[in-house]
Amino acid sequence: MGNTLQGKVAIVTGAGRGIGRGVALKLADEGAWVLVNDLGVAVDGTGADRMAADLVVGEIRERNGAAIASYANVASMQAGQGMTDAVLQEWGRLDIVVCVAGILRDRMVYNLSEKDWDDVLNVHLKGTFSLVKSAATVFRQQRSGRIITFSSESGLLGNPGQAAYGAAKSGICGFTKNVAREVGPYGVTANCIVPRAYTRMLQGVPPEAHLFLERLHIQGLPFDPASPEAQAWHPDDVAPFVAFLSSDYAANINGCTFLVYGDTIGLFQDPRPLSTIYKGEGFFTLEELAAIVPGTLGRGLANPAPAQVSK
Amino acid sequence: MGLLQNRVAVVTGGGRGIGRAVALLMARHGARVLVNDTGTGLDGDGVDRSPADQVVQEIQAAGGVAAPSYHSVSSVEGGEKIVQDALNHFHTVDILVAAAGILRDRTVFDTTEEDWNALVGVHLKGTFSVVRAAARAMRGKAYGRIVTFTSAAGLYGTFGQAAYGAVKDGVAGFARVVARDLGRFGITVNCVAPRAETRMTASVPDDIMRQRQEVLGVPQPTPTSDGYPPEAVAHLVAFLCTDTAGDINGQLFYVAGGVVSLLSHPAVTRTVRKPSGGRWSVEELAVAFPLTLGVGLANPAPPRESP
Ligand SMILES: NC(=O)c1ccc[n+]([C@@H]2O[C@H](COP(=O)([O-])OP(=O)(O)OC[C@H]3O[C@@H](n4cnc5c(N)ncnc54)[C@H](O)[C@@H]3O)[C@@H](O)[C@H]2O)c1
Ligand SMILES: NC(=O)c1ccc[n+]([C@@H]2O[C@H](COP(=O)([O-])OP(=O)(O)OC[C@H]3O[C@@H](n4cnc5c(N)ncnc54)[C@H](O)[C@@H]3O)[C@@H](O)[C@H]2O)c1
Repeated sequence: MGNTLQGKVAIVTGAGRGIGRGVALKLADEGAWVLVNDLGVAVDGTGADRMAADLVVGEIRERNGAAIASYANVASMQAGQGMTDAVLQEWGRLDIVVCVAGILRDRMVYNLSEKDWDDVLNVHLKGTFSLVKSAATVFRQQRSGRIITFSSESGLLGNPGQAAYGAAKSGICGFTKNVAREVGPYGVTANCIVPRAYTRMLQGVPPEAHLFLERLHIQGLPFDPASPEAQAWHPDDVAPFVAFLSSDYAANINGCTFLVYGDTIGLFQDPRPLSTIYKGEGFFTLEELAAIVPGTLGRGLANPAPAQVSK
Repeated sequence: MGLLQNRVAVVTGGGRGIGRAVALLMARHGARVLVNDTGTGLDGDGVDRSPADQVVQEIQAAGGVAAPSYHSVSSVEGGEKIVQDALNHFHTVDILVAAAGILRDRTVFDTTEEDWNALVGVHLKGTFSVVRAAARAMRGKAYGRIVTFTSAAGLYGTFGQAAYGAVKDGVAGFARVVARDLGRFGITVNCVAPRAETRMTASVPDDIMRQRQEVLGVPQPTPTSDGYPPEAVAHLVAFLCTDTAGDINGQLFYVAGGVVSLLSHPAVTRTVRKPSGGRWSVEELAVAFPLTLGVGLANPAPPRESP
């Protein structure tokens, strides 16, 4: 129990399970009053169950915290406005929004249906936009506020079989960087979290994606979900950093993307030039590029998925 | 012999700007080109067949082979129809350049649901729709080249482009995934962040344009007398579609006039672990962060005093 968020009001979407649940409990433990949003769906977004949000609200109240439930589907503009209005009505203010709600539908791009695409994009990207837009308007007025969104290594590094999810999660990262530059002048910050946590969502990731992550050996850690390391990536480990970003300590941390898991926090660097070729006059022609690139920009580039068929 | 002899290329947004330059260049190098363009206004309103028709005529007048296609990219059905147009005219698809795009410069405060849907529709779904349809056509023949477009607004963030930045970073993430979905079929998928003088950039005030380019961190060239012509982008795109570029897959490039860079993907450069292991507390982070990850970290838009 701490008091770093005493007197603040937070909205956490997808707060009924997994990472969002940990965030809601932590923010409440630090003194914040929390709107716990969750539609209570399966990993693929189907179904609905009020129990998901209700249980977390119950847990917070048991710990003498203040919480209310929202069962809204985040994927509409009305949802963001509705949650914002609800906390303003209940508690008269809003200080923190954390957009965690998410679903997963893994398909190779050529088998991905329009419905799967729309559903994934709507929950993640539009769901984030919806709440951030309504909250940003309040934050601009009161000249303070915290926006925290959730991206994924799937989008930032590329996981096979996750075209819609990767597009949405990378989009959230780009969105947050832009929003940071728009809300910053009003004393508001917007940052993006790339989590790793052993939740039901990770258990659904297809084996080829695990293999891919394994090959990456990020930080030298294997990514076998059965490994002790993966088991150790508890969803609640993400919450303290979210609470830190929500606190007054983090007033000047803005526009960043953080990797968060276990006892580790990492800072993402935006894309930067690895190598550059220049031409003083005009521009490189196709023939010139065909001659120059293999020995310069293209040198040593590894194909992440080399052809497996004879041409 | 042209470097793209006998290849069939689909170019969305081929009626204007970068897409147009790609279509003309590829045709000059021997490709048969399906020029797809709805001919919309910059904000995505309206339709006009003449941009696609004019590029087709230009190609034909120069002795090349081209056909127009007017379907919108922004639905799966549209993507299928566009690829079907190519199959009807040229019987196959080897190359897809997804350059269709629109712009609506608004901050998050002012972005309406309609703005959001329009941008997500054309850029994100409009890239997915044609990639999906083209991948189906390319998979069986174990050959394909796909180029998509991102933007500095998406990769770095700027002011006043919240939705556009979201969709353009979305395209970069999409391309990273799809490169891994399709690589094993001999298909490459790369992503280009261009800077080119088109109607899209002409709509942006000079000082904002300069600010936006400064965040790039790419050494900016002094503009040659040519400035930043869309043709410079077209040459890089066409190169990525040659046989020579068969092993360049899942990469991100920046091109502006006479400068071409290979960009890194987002990557974790610094990490901090709780020294004693286990879960951090907020107070511990408050102490540790400024001394570790926080060193040299600048707020890109620090608070301004209220007027
Ligand atoms: N677990 C990981 O390792 C990991 C990695 C990268 C990114 N993420 C991201 O972190 C976030 C949380 O993931 P998690 O692992 O805790 O997943 P989870 O499935 O355990 O929890 C997600 C919660 O969101 C809720 N939800 C889904 N759609 C909703 C909607 N439309 N409206 C309201 N609530 C909705 C679900 O009911 C669920 O309770 C997601 O955005 C996910 O993409 C997770
Ligand atoms: N010009 C730049 O400096 C720059 C910078 C970053 C990114 N980009 C990206 O490059 C691509 C090309 O941009 P440009 O500068 O050539 O723009 P442009 O406006 O000159 O051309 C875009 C073309 O796409 C067409 N189009 C729009 N919506 C369509 C739809 N639904 N279906 C089919 N066609 C459609 C338009 O009619 C237009 O002819 C875009 O994706 C843009 O986001 C350009």
